[in-house]
Amino acid sequence: MFDGLIQGFATALDPAVLIYSLFGVLLGTFVGVIPGIGAMATISLLLPLTYYISPEAALVMLAGVYYGSQYGGAVASVLLRLPGTPQSAVTTLDGYPMAQQGKAGLALFISMWSSFVGSILGIVLLVVLAGWLSGLATRFGAADYAAMMVLGLVAASTVGSDNAAKSLSMVVLGLILGCIGTDINSGAQRLTLGWTELMDGVNLVALAMGLFGVSEVINNIRKADAHGPPDKVTFRQMLPNRREMWEMTPPTLRGTAIGSFFGALPGTGSTISSFLSYAFERRISRTPERFGKGALEGVAAPEAANNSAAITAFVPTLTLGIPGDPIMALLLGALIIHGIQPGPMMLEQRPDMFWGLVVSFGIGNLFLLILNLPLIGIWVSILRIPFRWLYPAILIFVCLGVYSVRGSTFDLVMVAGIGAAGYLLTLARFNLALLLLGFVLGPLIEVNLRRALLISRGDPMVFLERPIAAGFVIASALLIVLSIWQAIRGRKTGG
Amino acid sequence: MRRDYHDLLGGFALALFGLAVAGHSASSLDFGTLRQMGPGFFPLVLGLCLGGLGLLVALPAWWRQGAPGAFHLPEFAAVLLAILVFALLMSRAGLIPATALSVLIATLPAPQRGWRWRLVLALIVTVMTWAIFSAGLGMTIPLFPWSR
Repeated sequence: MFDGLIQGFATALDPAVLIYSLFGVLLGTFVGVIPGIGAMATISLLLPLTYYISPEAALVMLAGVYYGSQYGGAVASVLLRLPGTPQSAVTTLDGYPMAQQGKAGLALFISMWSSFVGSILGIVLLVVLAGWLSGLATRFGAADYAAMMVLGLVAASTVGSDNAAKSLSMVVLGLILGCIGTDINSGAQRLTLGWTELMDGVNLVALAMGLFGVSEVINNIRKADAHGPPDKVTFRQMLPNRREMWEMTPPTLRGTAIGSFFGALPGTGSTISSFLSYAFERRISRTPERFGKGALEGVAAPEAANNSAAITAFVPTLTLGIPGDPIMALLLGALIIHGIQPGPMMLEQRPDMFWGLVVSFGIGNLFLLILNLPLIGIWVSILRIPFRWLYPAILIFVCLGVYSVRGSTFDLVMVAGIGAAGYLLTLARFNLALLLLGFVLGPLIEVNLRRALLISRGDPMVFLERPIAAGFVIASALLIVLSIWQAIRGRKTGG
Repeated sequence: MRRDYHDLLGGFALALFGLAVAGHSASSLDFGTLRQMGPGFFPLVLGLCLGGLGLLVALPAWWRQGAPGAFHLPEFAAVLLAILVFALLMSRAGLIPATALSVLIATLPAPQRGWRWRLVLALIVTVMTWAIFSAGLGMTIPLFPWSR
């Protein structure tokens, strides 16, 4: 492990990688602060640019955008009651009341500090879990992989969802879009309707940008400027006293525990874990009535949870090649673009990549903490930039990003179409993130499913005879039964 | 009586799309067997799944009240038009005209009157785009109609 760490420092301290890492975390904080554009849109925007840089720098930068945005997201949540990122939506519940009581600085400090603690503990867990899981994963067969990915999709669409049918339909739509293109086994053209541009399948960059760039922009032109200017926050106002520091530690640790657990499970990511940790804090509190009125546990726990989940989400992505959430799916896509296949062999074959990423997490988070506390004034003033100055530039970056992939006008028209469909689907409150997750996992599931059934001579019992696969299948079935039961019970009580 | 029209329409649209995918795969692609799946196996099964799920979304919505979200038509139209204009001009007229015109179209629905800020923004974004993509990253794209 020490060899690995040394190798990691060598990779992460390479000047080019270091600069891209710092650029990533700063850009991540910036887009996290601004409501209306998040890590998802930014990472899809940056994907085409990664063609021009080394895979190490690309991965480190994109990951930096992800966890950087978790720090920034709290700023708008606390000051404007407008979540900068979906992961920080819970922070509005107690962060905004704190700001109204004149404790905005303290709320921001708590969110940054617990984010930092959550990330650092998450990194330790990532190292431990990744080593253990990649050893275990060498025993995985095709059936186990397929069953595990199905569990991931089922978990993503049932845990924390109020309408499982809607979530599952987005997953299936994503799976269908993933089928488009040339079938690898037979060479047949599937669902391309004769368009040669679709032979290689739907372009990941075009899909992600249409779903998250275009539809978010349409959605936010009117909404994003509807708030007043935020209050000023200075560094001095942020510093907590000893009693507050003492009070925030236990919820931070509990949030970290919940976040790292749900982050490492494929399918349940940082948004869900921030909601769960908030609910947990309120349940175990002796004074649950304070929640929603400025309880500092209500800021510390979810912020620790979403950051530690953002780190441990790399465990299934890197060791099994299975992205746990849509952002991981994008990062996986970036690695595959560079010809690196994440999976059980990555720790052995590309240790520099794995350890470089781990070390860059540490550097990036330290950088975020040290820099964000004094710079808080700047981040707050970014909230004063009207969205109308930003979104046309975002749109042009979307267009050029898609165009640069292969100079195709067809792809641009497709982005417009996907953006239109995506906007209509968000209007009807369908979760587009699940669509992307299905799209990326679909081809992997199909390959493994076909392989498993070929080996078993067409006997579907293979999914119940292998203990690992059977475990995943049973867990998926339980989740579906549970959500059906919840739907029936909800109708009886809710009317 | 109000119904949950979003789920109703969304669910039916998805169900129709799913059934169309299933029908298309059944008619034009080989289904194969469980042991040797053909290219049509996955799309057909998934299409039927989406058809069923879409109905599961739509049917309960008939008996339920919904809170309709507002459809932002001007924003919707302007953003899509900006992308299509960019697509049209990019390969024919070059980066500079495509960027400037798209930015102007995209700003149309912005909640702020006046033309001066729109022109300034178009200028800033165009220069920035040129600096980052053409000069900075060295992408080989024609800048003007005559530079190809």
